[in-house]
Amino acid sequence: METGTLNKLSLFVEDLNETALAPNALKDAAHEFLAGQDFPTTRSERFKYTRLAKLANAAFSAAQSVNEVQIAQSKILIDAYTIVINHDNIQIPKNLPSGIEVSLIAETQIPFNEAAFYDIFGALNILHASLGISIHIRQNITLDKPLQILQINSGGKTFYRHHFSFEKNSEVAVYFISKNTEGHSSFAHTHFQYNIAKDARVKIFKIQDTNVGHFDFNEDRAKQAERSHFEINTITLSGSFVRNDIQVEINGEQAQSYLNGAYWLKEEQHVANYTTIDHRVANCESFETYKGVATDKATAVFNGKVFVRKDAQKTNAYQSNANVLLSENASINSKPELEIYADDVKCSHGSTTGQLDENALFYLRARGLSEAAAKNLLLQAFMEDVLAYVKNEEVLAYVHKRIAARFNWNY
Amino acid sequence: MIKIENLHASINGKEILKGLNLTVNAGEVHAIMGPNGAGKSTLASVLAGREDYEITAGNVSFLDKDLLELSTEDRAREGLFLAFQYPVEIPGVSNVNFLRTALNEKRAYHGQDPISAKDFMALVREKSALVEIDPKLASRSVNEGFSGGEKKRNEIFQMAMLNPKLAVLDETDSGLDIDALRIVSQGVNALKSPENASIVITHYQRLLDYIIPDMVHVLYDGRIVKSGPKELALELEERGYDWIKESL
Repeated sequence: METGTLNKLSLFVEDLNETALAPNALKDAAHEFLAGQDFPTTRSERFKYTRLAKLANAAFSAAQSVNEVQIAQSKILIDAYTIVINHDNIQIPKNLPSGIEVSLIAETQIPFNEAAFYDIFGALNILHASLGISIHIRQNITLDKPLQILQINSGGKTFYRHHFSFEKNSEVAVYFISKNTEGHSSFAHTHFQYNIAKDARVKIFKIQDTNVGHFDFNEDRAKQAERSHFEINTITLSGSFVRNDIQVEINGEQAQSYLNGAYWLKEEQHVANYTTIDHRVANCESFETYKGVATDKATAVFNGKVFVRKDAQKTNAYQSNANVLLSENASINSKPELEIYADDVKCSHGSTTGQLDENALFYLRARGLSEAAAKNLLLQAFMEDVLAYVKNEEVLAYVHKRIAARFNWNY
Repeated sequence: MIKIENLHASINGKEILKGLNLTVNAGEVHAIMGPNGAGKSTLASVLAGREDYEITAGNVSFLDKDLLELSTEDRAREGLFLAFQYPVEIPGVSNVNFLRTALNEKRAYHGQDPISAKDFMALVREKSALVEIDPKLASRSVNEGFSGGEKKRNEIFQMAMLNPKLAVLDETDSGLDIDALRIVSQGVNALKSPENASIVITHYQRLLDYIIPDMVHVLYDGRIVKSGPKELALELEERGYDWIKESL
């Protein structure tokens, strides 16, 4: 128990119970990490561009369950194995094929990978997570349909944990969709753990589509074995407060990692993408492309780190972040970082932020396109290389529909 | 078709056009020649509505409308087409997608329904044959990775697709080899009709071997200083511009 004056952190956790999910040693480490801490300020490196005052002052409404109609409306993929997560209500489909096992995280014994905490929320997750799923794909299994995980937030403060284990030579696409219901203020911190065995081919698509009142924190931690292919695409269609922190550890040779992100922000939305790719062994490749558009007073943050360790010779690492600002009050803080300790590697990184090309706009208008139509075409083209990773027609149609609804841009 | 009277235009406070007069009627091809820096490309940009230029005096009437009052896109929809000297590369925007949008915005402006996909593709096939452009080029990104000749052919292809009333060709011959020059010129000639007109801006006479003008004008220091029949182009080729400067 805290003594003395209550700081923002202790007020935030006041109504949270400690859970029995994580191993005791990890919980002890979390307590140690949190001792004497408060909410991070903009003086701290990882929250330099993210103000937490709104979160500290927010009053969260009691968690409410959504009904079946709302669930049905929130699905994006029709032909998929769908798991629904809404507070204490987790629905797991009964028709799963053999080779895939899905269970509640509380009912399974899965080792936790965490070795370190990067911010207070990660440590809080260890102490307070109670809900989540564990998904196990057996070796040589190729799932015939994608897996759709629908996480609907409707009030309350929730820490989730989802653990994935992809055995060797398995293949699967996972669509993780986060939404919230309007009129409820909510907080979700979701920790994703991916163990990717050798030769496994895994594609994760995050479709983030939340609204005012929801604080969405995501921590993704992946470990890749040799010759595995891991792709994670984070598509932020809407979100008043979204943080994504993805870390990929490459532990086996000839592995490939793809990290992509796309974000469309307006009003006072804030989206921060932090990524770390840790090349620990030789002969691996990583490709990272994040692109975004911001208008009104929206703010976006990109911080991408690529580590190439001493033994990671013949690494090929490519990283880029590009942004288009459509208003004077929108802002992007972009920080690509490379740390290379091996001497025989190919690495590149780049970051651009600017307005749409005036010459291209004039060219299109000189052919009879209105200014709006010309901008629409140019923005569509700008995002194309990231959206090209989304091959699923239903998901693409949803992305286009939402962009049209929010920005009146028709793709 | 178009009547330009006493047109003055400046950029960054520097006057480039200093009282330009020009009238082009339907069915005519006019060539504008002149030394570097005379204002040839400025004229093209001002007609198309580039906002970097400030119009300080003068009138331009296009099909009985005040051209200078129209936005860039409305000028295009009214039937003005500028073939760019330096066509812009637009990665990710396909030629076909962009042209269908352009065509449909023009049709909407004139109260017409959008073109059907079938009719549009038939039009693409017909017009790409005209400029001997590979139909595959039409589905690629606008001008991205195109050679100089391909870019200029693409301009003429777009012109054929949009079927303008008045085409302004800004140094369309620059950077073209003889074959490309022939193809581009054939395209322009094939589109000629009694209802439309062209202004061909060029630095060299050789384009006018392929596109025969009704009138040749010399633009010098922001004004048309001499006009004459097509033979004037040959005289300019032979004697250069100095004799004109001296006669002023």
